Amino acid sequence: MRKYLVAYSISLQETLQRRSTLIMDRLGGFAVVLSLYSFWSALLGDKPSFLGYTRDEMISYVLVINVLRALVFTGRGWQLVGEISNGKISSYLVRPISYHAYALSLDLAQKSVHVVSAFFEVALLAAFIRGGLYLPGHLSTWLLFALSAILASLIFFFMEFIVSSLAFWTSESGGPLFCFELFLQFAAGAFFPLDVLPEFARRLLSATPFPYLVFFPARIFLEKVSTGEAARVLAIEAAWLAVFLAGALYIWRAGVSSYAAEGG
Amino acid sequence: MPALDVKDLTKDYRSPVKEPGLWGGVKSLFDRRYKDTRAVDAVSFKIEEGELVGFLGANGAGKTTTLKMLSGLLTPTAGAATALGHVPWRREAAFQKKISLVMGQRTQLWWEIPALETFRLNQAIYGIPEPDFRRNLDELVELLDLGEHLAVPVKKLSLGQRMRAEMVAALLHQPQLLLLDEPTIGLDVIMQKKVREFVKAYNKRHNATIMLTSHNMTDVVELCKRVIVIERGVLLYDGPLERLVERYADHKIVRVRFHSPVAAADLRPLGTVVSAGELLAVLEVPRDKVPASAAALLRSYPVADLDVEEVDIDDIVRRLFGGS
Repeated sequence: MRKYLVAYSISLQETLQRRSTLIMDRLGGFAVVLSLYSFWSALLGDKPSFLGYTRDEMISYVLVINVLRALVFTGRGWQLVGEISNGKISSYLVRPISYHAYALSLDLAQKSVHVVSAFFEVALLAAFIRGGLYLPGHLSTWLLFALSAILASLIFFFMEFIVSSLAFWTSESGGPLFCFELFLQFAAGAFFPLDVLPEFARRLLSATPFPYLVFFPARIFLEKVSTGEAARVLAIEAAWLAVFLAGALYIWRAGVSSYAAEGG
Repeated sequence: MPALDVKDLTKDYRSPVKEPGLWGGVKSLFDRRYKDTRAVDAVSFKIEEGELVGFLGANGAGKTTTLKMLSGLLTPTAGAATALGHVPWRREAAFQKKISLVMGQRTQLWWEIPALETFRLNQAIYGIPEPDFRRNLDELVELLDLGEHLAVPVKKLSLGQRMRAEMVAALLHQPQLLLLDEPTIGLDVIMQKKVREFVKAYNKRHNATIMLTSHNMTDVVELCKRVIVIERGVLLYDGPLERLVERYADHKIVRVRFHSPVAAADLRPLGTVVSAGELLAVLEVPRDKVPASAAALLRSYPVADLDVEEVDIDDIVRRLFGGS
């Protein structure tokens, strides 16, 4: 266990060391939030609500997804792709360490930094924007939200791990990873709440794991779902997590044995 | 029990074959053909604990592939091997804690932060108790003369400093088996010497078994009594370094100094003239003709001095590997 704590701490140091990358990342995220905010403000105009979202709720949705994006979507998937293609993966395979747990420790460190920064950004924005920020009144909502967000970030981690692991078989897995991430942010509801979509698209997406990454956790935060529904969301998240965890373990084993067969 | 026991180890690589050009690329999308290449072919050898063995061969001879199998990175196509009593490619933690693989062109160090952090990570990975970690680190840092560089981000280190830091990272857990692939590649002469001295000292101090590949013959000559040579995956030679010389050098070098000028053409019947000045000549003479040639030189020419030498190991190995 200690090895993963040390890995976490090293990754934390490195993330802080690469200040300009960090600042760029955060500025990029901030720009997305700002544009979403302006977009929805314009759309709402003087209307009290739009598509079932009050002004406060819509603005809060935008701010909450800033935190969720930081928690769920930051990670080092690209690093795995790189390490498989350039053979650095070898140096882990000869050491007594589980690469999954190691990679997760590194990701958690990045996520920690980004989440802290995202909170500050949200606080900053909230201080300047027109209208109030919706904050849930029940402690249970906060807990359910935290739990669903953590499950979401684990689902994404193993999802990304699977896509990155394609690098074991193709030298072009950067492409799939890029497409995957773009589509995924859209399908997850990271740009707008998914209930603005037509019914059939919503149903279609609900059958996929994507809305569970951002949309449903955000709805839990906005208390747009009952406790029973929230519990259902958590159960489905847990099921998806199990699927992707199993998938990641399987594809990793297959990848390593093909790596061992083909050579790096 | 030998530290390394390798029996008929064989490895085939399978790689896709693509016809040249765009059309070839399109075709390979639908009809992918593979070609098997034998990288290592039924290689067998034993290495005892504490031995330091040089592993020689041209590029692509199968050295790195063999080291990768012995460290557990690759699974062989056929054959068997045990390293320190383990089957390497099962990758058991107990085995991994006892070995280290250093590849000169790969790094395990974290780039943006000081090397010490990577050392700390390895301490945790290998479960090295703090007092042992301190002792090993001090020893390695002293042997490798790395003291003040530990606190500098790795990306700011020179190649030589980084390579030595790499060695520290690889040896903190005091591996009993060390597989070194081109440990001096890219280093300047002074750094090469430092790394060599270190490898020797580590071998002596810990009775560690070391197998090393190198293109740098000085590494091999200074470090290894025994060498294993492979060529196109097949084991060519396994034995003492000196015997390699006897076996593959069918000639000796004769150096002559004359009192008065001698024409190079006159010397040709005695052997191959490698170089000839007015008063100095170097000849390559077949082993069995050396006494006769030397006698002829002394008899018929104004010889001031005459030396008969073995061929440089460098030359032999270079010849064995067909140039380079």
